[in-house]
Amino acid sequence: SHFLSLSLQAKMSRPVQARRLEGIDKNIWVEFVKLAATYSTVNLGQGFPDFPPPDFLKEAFVGALSGENQMLHQYTRAFGHPPLVKILAQFFGKLLGRDLDPMTDVMVTVGAYQALFCCFQAFVDEGDEVIIIEPFFDCYEPMVKMAGGTPVFVPLRPKAPKDGKLMSSADWQLDPAELASKFSERTKAIVLNSPNNPLGKVFSRGELELIADLCVKHDILCISDEVYEWLVYDGKEHIRIASLHGMWDRTVIIGSAGKTFSATGWKVGWTVGPNRLLRHLRTMHQNSVYHCATVAQEAVAQGFQRELERYGKPDSYFVQLPKELQQKRDWLVQSLDAVGMKPIVPEGTYFLVADISEFKSDVPDVPDSDEPYDSRFAKWMVKNKGLAAIPLSAFYCGPHKNNYNHFIRFCFAKEEATLKAANDILQKWKREKTSP
Amino acid sequence: TMAFRHENTRRIEGLDSNVWVEFTKVAADPSIVNLGQGLPDISPPSYVKEELAKAAAVDRLNQYTRGFGHPSLVKALSQVYERVCGRRIDPLTDILVTVGAYGSLFSTIQALIQEGDEVIIIEPFYDCYEPMVKMAGAKPVFIPLRYKNDGNSASSADWVLDPAELAKKFNSKTKAIILNTPHNPIGKVFTREELQVIADLCIKHDTLCISDEVYEWLVYKGNKHIKIATLPGMWERTITIGSAGKTYSVTGWKLGWSIGPQNLIKHLQVVHQNTLYTCPTPLQEALAQAFWIDYERMDDPDCYFYSLSRELESKRDRMAQLLQEAGLKPVIPDGGYFMIVDVSTLNVDLSDVDEKQPYDYKFVKWMITSKKLSAIPLSAFCGPETKRQFEKYIRFCFIKKDGTLDAAEVILKNWNKQTA
Repeated sequence: SHFLSLSLQAKMSRPVQARRLEGIDKNIWVEFVKLAATYSTVNLGQGFPDFPPPDFLKEAFVGALSGENQMLHQYTRAFGHPPLVKILAQFFGKLLGRDLDPMTDVMVTVGAYQALFCCFQAFVDEGDEVIIIEPFFDCYEPMVKMAGGTPVFVPLRPKAPKDGKLMSSADWQLDPAELASKFSERTKAIVLNSPNNPLGKVFSRGELELIADLCVKHDILCISDEVYEWLVYDGKEHIRIASLHGMWDRTVIIGSAGKTFSATGWKVGWTVGPNRLLRHLRTMHQNSVYHCATVAQEAVAQGFQRELERYGKPDSYFVQLPKELQQKRDWLVQSLDAVGMKPIVPEGTYFLVADISEFKSDVPDVPDSDEPYDSRFAKWMVKNKGLAAIPLSAFYCGPHKNNYNHFIRFCFAKEEATLKAANDILQKWKREKTSP
Repeated sequence: TMAFRHENTRRIEGLDSNVWVEFTKVAADPSIVNLGQGLPDISPPSYVKEELAKAAAVDRLNQYTRGFGHPSLVKALSQVYERVCGRRIDPLTDILVTVGAYGSLFSTIQALIQEGDEVIIIEPFYDCYEPMVKMAGAKPVFIPLRYKNDGNSASSADWVLDPAELAKKFNSKTKAIILNTPHNPIGKVFTREELQVIADLCIKHDTLCISDEVYEWLVYKGNKHIKIATLPGMWERTITIGSAGKTYSVTGWKLGWSIGPQNLIKHLQVVHQNTLYTCPTPLQEALAQAFWIDYERMDDPDCYFYSLSRELESKRDRMAQLLQEAGLKPVIPDGGYFMIVDVSTLNVDLSDVDEKQPYDYKFVKWMITSKKLSAIPLSAFCGPETKRQFEKYIRFCFIKKDGTLDAAEVILKNWNKQTA
């Protein structure tokens, strides 16, 4: 037909994609993962271990897929494979000092990522505000926007460390008055991530109580991303905000088998919380992915069973893994400190942020550049030194990307050989700087 | 007590109930012969399991892979579908790997449908289409398949769309139509002519087509699965969805894919990177290897895509025979692994059952308790206007091992002997 109706013309001139995608199409990982794949000889960028999951877990996986029970290759219960939700209810019930119903107080998701998505979609409506503490795992912001919400940012601010000491993630803190000022009538939720990616901060009881008091006062939801819950160092304690007064009824706890068992590629996560909240996550889940893959859930269930039996004992993976990672952390801290990149010693997670100010001469400032300095630095570093890391500005919202733009984040969940190779690169780099 | 205002968002309001939540729990009792949920109880091919074991042994394959799809998998998918479609398919830009076909439907609808849009859904429909369209803020517009034949034959081919009725459903707000071929629950395999009617309307109204083709390999003798995306003018406006679960009898792997032009797939990729980011790695690697094995033998009748179809055809015929011997008239499907049957001819009086549910819901519940056989009520797959039309039908799944069908046979043979 030669003449298109006006309404058809109007339709064809509109964008084909939905409005909810506005402003959320950019993603730093797409670019940085590609750069690392192309240029890096030592990849301390994206957060995943380069060592395998523990043998007992791999054995459980192979046992499940090749065993007599063929039905492990078919759909399991949509809200979580029964053996997995049962052991999670038992395990987290013990940790929280509560009786948890596996059928209503636990839901399995495709990684913690999908758990976060369900929380925002189930609870954040157009016009709702969600408080996000900076620096933050980058997906929180686009997920809030996709749900029609408005992210409200509040920064952790670095305090100068004690004389002669290296900065610690504990030195980055919220200003209580500033935090309180971010709450409004429209605030629906706050996202808490402890231990925190990228800084490695493990929020103290006092800090959590500050947040909890505001949650209760303003009657808001706490989305508590605790994927690094087992990775805490120097005898620090990971405290679950849901165990604080008034918080169980308003908190969704998110966990991850990928981080717990060093198997990020399995994409098994979970939510724990009261039925009153989880029923809405179930509705969201059943209308988006519905079921999660069965075999990995079976294997993770067996992994947790083993850990429950060894809880607190020296041969528990949850004791051994943080011990090994603490050693790796200390190696990387030493390597960086020795060459003049100032590490912020993390209390938890497998990430470490370092101040690269002393290396700025290698990558001159470009005034009025659209790109934050640390992003340009990280790109130059991977291309010229083969060492991949992630710029800290990736973990800040657009307007704040230049607030702390001379830091980069390293992942140290790597074999000793990898960390040694990183050390070699750093040492060589320093030598090249000091000799003309 | 403290005031507590945390209710759900508008987008999920009213979407909490679901036929599966109701019926899978009931049928989980092992003493019940379960022909309800579409769940194979046959074993997947052994090489599929072997490839998974091999993948899990590689350290790197237990960690994150590429978000939009594991490289070896999207490469294998592009090869298989290039061959089927006869056109170039770029593995990186024209494909997205998702958590099951369910995840593809969700990503497609979230990416391309918004408030103010209308989406045409053909009834009966796989039940998630309606809530997903509603969650995206759009309005579902239903059109039923109608039984056109008065004769004795009962084939899925007898269920057709009325072209004039279909044309009236399109308007300037129509953003997409959802097509499902081979069709769940009826088993209809849309013919080229039927697809052309839909294609013509899509082109005329500049409408997208979301084509759910999860049962694409399961077509029986005398039928051919045709991809609407291969019709002229359709590639640029169609998202075609496939499923590893249905292709390889591994529903528990929850891997699916969307294939289409870059300018549409890129929006699905944005949704994916903001919802779950990446799918499990070892499963994707194993699936890639399985696809290479069958790609190599796509000219060979032993290719699993064809051998599964042959196996299911004989199960279909057996299921039909069992139902006929029990005095029922099943609708013989041309594809898929479901069969629907009109149970009103059995004259089971359920008027004393107090619930306000449609007849087929009450019938299935009664059948589960008194006959120890489960199925799914067809009105679960209908919009509000057509529930009356379809409430005399129930759906049986026949991708079941011989032992299960033997048990079903016993129940159906004894049916008339046990009148209450």
